[in-house]
Amino acid sequence: MIRVEMRKQTFRSRTYIALGLMAGLPILLTLIIKFGSRHHNDRDFFALASHSGINMPLAALAAASSFLLVVIVSLFAGGAVSEEANWGSLRYLLLSPVQRGRVLSSKLAVAGILATLATVLVTISGLAAGTLAFGWHPVASPDGVVFSQWTAVGKLAVSTVYVAWCMAGIVSLAFMISTMTNAPMGAVAGSVGLSIVSQILDAISSLGSLRTLLITHYWHAWEGLFANPTTSSDVLKGVLLQVPYVVVFLVLAWWWFDRRDILS
Amino acid sequence: MDPQSPAIANRNGAAAVAVVGLTKRFGEDVVAVDDVSLEVHDGMVFGLLGPNGAGKTTLLRVLLGLVHPNNGEVFLFGERMRPGSPLLRHVGALIESPGFVPHLSGMENLKAYWLAGGDPLSAAHVDEALAIADLGSAIHRKVRTYSKGMQQRLALAQVLLNGPELLILDEPTIGLDPGEMRDVRELIGRLAEGGATVLLSSHILAEVEQVCTHAAVMNRGKLVASGTVDDLIGASRRVFLEVDDSARAIKLLETITGVSRIERDGAGVSLSLTGVDRKAIVAALVGAGIGVETVESRHSLEDAFLGIVEKVGA
Repeated sequence: MIRVEMRKQTFRSRTYIALGLMAGLPILLTLIIKFGSRHHNDRDFFALASHSGINMPLAALAAASSFLLVVIVSLFAGGAVSEEANWGSLRYLLLSPVQRGRVLSSKLAVAGILATLATVLVTISGLAAGTLAFGWHPVASPDGVVFSQWTAVGKLAVSTVYVAWCMAGIVSLAFMISTMTNAPMGAVAGSVGLSIVSQILDAISSLGSLRTLLITHYWHAWEGLFANPTTSSDVLKGVLLQVPYVVVFLVLAWWWFDRRDILS
Repeated sequence: MDPQSPAIANRNGAAAVAVVGLTKRFGEDVVAVDDVSLEVHDGMVFGLLGPNGAGKTTLLRVLLGLVHPNNGEVFLFGERMRPGSPLLRHVGALIESPGFVPHLSGMENLKAYWLAGGDPLSAAHVDEALAIADLGSAIHRKVRTYSKGMQQRLALAQVLLNGPELLILDEPTIGLDPGEMRDVRELIGRLAEGGATVLLSSHILAEVEQVCTHAAVMNRGKLVASGTVDDLIGASRRVFLEVDDSARAIKLLETITGVSRIERDGAGVSLSLTGVDRKAIVAALVGAGIGVETVESRHSLEDAFLGIVEKVGA
């Protein structure tokens, strides 16, 4: 069934455009940094991108993970069920002799695979474009630490997996809304909206420790892997924070869809 | 279809479809299906009639596990029907309108539909289905380029992929041109002759009259009549009177109890009779000096349907 669902997603231009955007963003950033003016006083991954090709995927991940990646993964998960309802094909899918839970599992798996692929594409494309443009050199972090190429690549791989996992809560939310509506864009808007609200609230320091419960709070914790000294405790917190969001959203999705009357 | 499967083999004469005390409400106020019970036995071509909003489509959706009933039970082949039940392997269904993944071709849609059920493609009746669809090379075009009629034909092909023992068809000829409608009716007839049981809803009464052996009428969620099509038609008495003064005849007929649906009809008048016989009507007209040339019975399912619905609504 996963193969069937994967075919539905892979044979469509929207998937290619979305994944193309994720692959294209690091290339665009590389070109801008390569040919644009430089601000030597900045100390972030962008400013350091020209020092080594391995800095480029880090810069691209930092740039994409706050918004563009959220939109893309929401698109994959938010349309999983609602698009079929919108096309009128959901009722025929549910006329198959399979349990609704299995249908959901397949759709969630495909949304998860595509969301992960979108994240990985940012890294791979950034690494390829960055290396071509700026060479294969040791990586200088914003804190001034220099990592050997392979150490940096290892940290980059961990960061990519971490960013992909940080999208799990958003994917689950979009997927849950997708089971409740026939309007795919409603599901996308709901999950993107939540991430924006969460990021706004996270910027309000008077919320204190409550901010650590926000779904987006630890999204950039992977940058601590390149800090001096290296900090990974926030990465672990970020991994764990997604778990309750994923569980709650998915339990609600299953509960709702199992009881839903298919009227579309 | 596997005739030895448990669902089919252990039926002990149970009806292909049995609905017992089924009620479906949407919210507090809307009762879409109200305590409906009916049985569709093997080999029947059963027509479900009713005005828009009568609850036909909701009833069919409940039968297929798409909608959860508030009360009552549904049995297919003698087994309780639940969403996603293996019983669906023996059912082909078309509900309301075709629904396809628009960016996939017709063929890819058929494959996706079939493979979702977990059975190998080699078990599907693909050649028969493609013959029904009769889409030629267009079967490899994206469905979004199909006309409504092409989508309907593809939907009928999809229905037949599993060689179903039971067909549940909601308005199967909608969107088709007259030739295609005739083809679909002939197809339903052939499938029934081949042993399939058919439950179809239609608002085209002539279609039900031509195709169905049995019918039921729904109105406002309730089942208000059921039986053989012949019995239902017999329950209504439509008469045509050729008279020499239609205007006077209509005025007079309007005063007679038991006469309804009086319409000018060419050189005469058509009317429905309930509890009054033709002799009394002719005598009344002649007594009033109106010449009656011809008296004909014109019974049809449409008359029966309208008579039943009006009677219930009165």
